[in-house]
Amino acid sequence: MDSKKHHQELLKKYAEAVVRVGLNLRKGQRLIITNAIARGVPPAGREFVHEVTKAAYAAGAKYVEVIWGDEEMHRIRLKNAPVDSFDEYPKFHINAVMDMIKNGDALLSVYANDPDAFLGLDPDRVAALQKYHLQNNAPIGVEVSRNAINWCVVASASPAWAAKIFPDLKPQAAEEKLWQAIFETTRATLPDPIAAWGDHIKNLKKRSAYLQAKKYSALYYKGPGTDFTLGLPNGHKWISAQALAENGVVFTANMPTEETFTLPDRHRADGTVAATFPLSYGGSLIEDFSVTFENGRIIKVNAKKNEAILKQLVDTDEGSTRLGEVALVPASSPIAKRGHLFYNTLFDENASCHIAIGRAYRFTLIGGEELTDEEFIAAGGNVSLNHVDFMIGSNKMDIDGIKEDGTREPVMRSGEWAFDV
Amino acid sequence: MNEAEFDQMLGKYADVIVKIGVNLRKGQRLLIRGILEDASLIRKVTESAYKAGAVFVDVLYTDERLNRIRLEYADPESLTEVPNWTLARYEEYYERMDAEIALLSTDPELMNGIAPDLLAKYRKAIAQKMEPLRKYENTTNWCVVATASPAWAKKVFPELSVKEAQEKLWEEIFSCCRINAPDPVAAWSEHTDKLKKYRDYLNTQHFSALHYRAPGTDLTIGLPEKHLWQGAQAEFKNGITGIPNLPTEEVFTTPHKDKVNGTVISTMPLNYLGALIEDFSLTFENGRAIKVTAKKGEETLRKLIGTDEDACRLGEVALVPNSSPISQRGILFYNTLFDENASCHVALGNSYRDTIIGGEDMTEEEFAACGGNKSLVHTDFMIGSSQLDIDGIKADDSRVPLMRAGEWAIVV
Repeated sequence: MDSKKHHQELLKKYAEAVVRVGLNLRKGQRLIITNAIARGVPPAGREFVHEVTKAAYAAGAKYVEVIWGDEEMHRIRLKNAPVDSFDEYPKFHINAVMDMIKNGDALLSVYANDPDAFLGLDPDRVAALQKYHLQNNAPIGVEVSRNAINWCVVASASPAWAAKIFPDLKPQAAEEKLWQAIFETTRATLPDPIAAWGDHIKNLKKRSAYLQAKKYSALYYKGPGTDFTLGLPNGHKWISAQALAENGVVFTANMPTEETFTLPDRHRADGTVAATFPLSYGGSLIEDFSVTFENGRIIKVNAKKNEAILKQLVDTDEGSTRLGEVALVPASSPIAKRGHLFYNTLFDENASCHIAIGRAYRFTLIGGEELTDEEFIAAGGNVSLNHVDFMIGSNKMDIDGIKEDGTREPVMRSGEWAFDV
Repeated sequence: MNEAEFDQMLGKYADVIVKIGVNLRKGQRLLIRGILEDASLIRKVTESAYKAGAVFVDVLYTDERLNRIRLEYADPESLTEVPNWTLARYEEYYERMDAEIALLSTDPELMNGIAPDLLAKYRKAIAQKMEPLRKYENTTNWCVVATASPAWAKKVFPELSVKEAQEKLWEEIFSCCRINAPDPVAAWSEHTDKLKKYRDYLNTQHFSALHYRAPGTDLTIGLPEKHLWQGAQAEFKNGITGIPNLPTEEVFTTPHKDKVNGTVISTMPLNYLGALIEDFSLTFENGRAIKVTAKKGEETLRKLIGTDEDACRLGEVALVPNSSPISQRGILFYNTLFDENASCHVALGNSYRDTIIGGEDMTEEEFAACGGNKSLVHTDFMIGSSQLDIDGIKADDSRVPLMRAGEWAIVV
């Protein structure tokens, strides 16, 4: 079998797993494929989108809509548009997604983004564009964080992204290597990817069930540069892999996924946590950074690179000074084992324990979907335009679970699970 | 052309599109519509537009391959599904009278082999959904252009490799659009002046009909009393003057929907929705096509004229000399934007409101009473050749030779 044909077959298996396991697309559903960061799927994701579309129609989709987002167009705008024009924002993309969500349709986000899309551009302009984008996109974020519909985030290789990960390889070799990583971590290379996903989901569920039964009131993190206590609110719910959407569909929101996660108490985070991976945010890379908390609030950040962007992120709104997610991933996860950064949250978050600045997912608090913003906040949930994961895990990280009575139990040691299930 | 030269030409083309075509005003928003293969020009046009003072340039990319995938893979029953937002996305821009540039670089063979009835069902559902957009006709400055997309280029130059075919097609596009001229902007101004003279002449003549004669063709096209010839420049309702098609070589008006009689033979294949209709003829009686024949694609042609009640009537008649620069290229482009400017043509379906005096402000009934046609489709097909003679017939039955052997027989 020639390599092109082999690639096509893997792409097809991957697309089928995305449609059947990730989205679990129902017959008669419509599907919208987009990407929140580039405001549409970067055209480099085209080949993969074709396979997803075929798989979706084969699964009985009534209609598949793809919104394309050209990062180069955003660059041209950032360079050339009048400085006071960044509030110009087409409403129709947002309205389209909102319409389909209201109709109970499915949503797929395809990453193929260039981690350095906005490299070298005026950070103030980048921040202005990002701010208006977040404001306009907020209603979609709210619906997704409620699991209103079955949704899924996946990735396609792209030349710019591959070149960032594998700078020493030739463009084609880099892209092939990235595809290989995507195929392997999404189990597309296995004989029966859908069955393999079934097993994987089952194993992850055992971890979340264990943690759920423990009802820890806080987690304590200790690692190089990190000495950090993070409160967990009453009613926090540990989630892994699968979730039940309000439209009744059981779906897997991320492929790959290796994490077990819940929400922290927005009022209880204290100490300093050091990032162990660079963070790609809105087209810029923030590197070698740490964040210090007091009573849940970020009181200090520092970064060796793009500190200004990190500060802008934290300054977006009140909720961006606090945390909305805490996730546990062993340092030996299949993604971590690849031994390189992906410069992409979908992958890097599944290689490492992480926390997220900003919005908490409603479904990570028992009954959270029904609460008003005020009630959610009072229960310890966070509300923000942002939800930005950053990685804090490593094979030098120890994590304890702290019970209501102050007793401590090992949850992770040297980056690995410290309990059996 | 090396890469740097090509980039420079693309920049010039983008400037002509922005300055001459859409004539973008400072402070306007611009919507660009195209296929993913159009990205190189779309990005250049975007740069030109911001330099010309655009406040925001947005692009609405279509992946036409996905349209084919839908027809191949989707449940045929679902092909009538057209979400509301496919309409709303245009309304958002048109309501504000933002400028629009549409790129027409489609693969002529995109829908090859797809069953015509599926295609017709799919297209009709879209046309019906988009029907409300008709009210925005000419409200804003708009322009249609093309890029040398790989599949289109390969269709035009099948003997070349895709890359060579694209290079060759780009050269043709640049040449047809006068981008090679030392001063493209001046060249366009000279050209539009000339087209205006033909247009103005025809408007002073008040012909009641045109009579076409060529081998196999004997066709009389009645013109509405209030018909208005258009050409080259258009004045849009937002007060901006621009050139809606690049290239453009035609002057055109609307036939009277009930007064077309006789038979006309096509002189070029018609690419309709990705399927080719070849060697075809239509016979009209009191405006209606009552007989069609085609050596290839006859079923597609029948679907076209059966789209709705009046898709079988004509909505445009356009005059283009056989010596037009595009005709002189001697290339069949398989793309209406180019082929219509190489040849006299007529269109099945909808009439443009601005081809009847006062038509833009008429109700549908008033427009129809004046002879204007209404349909979901507007599809040009070519009937010109070096063997075509056209007479203008006046109300008193006197005749004026308008074209002889495919060339203008009048001096303006």
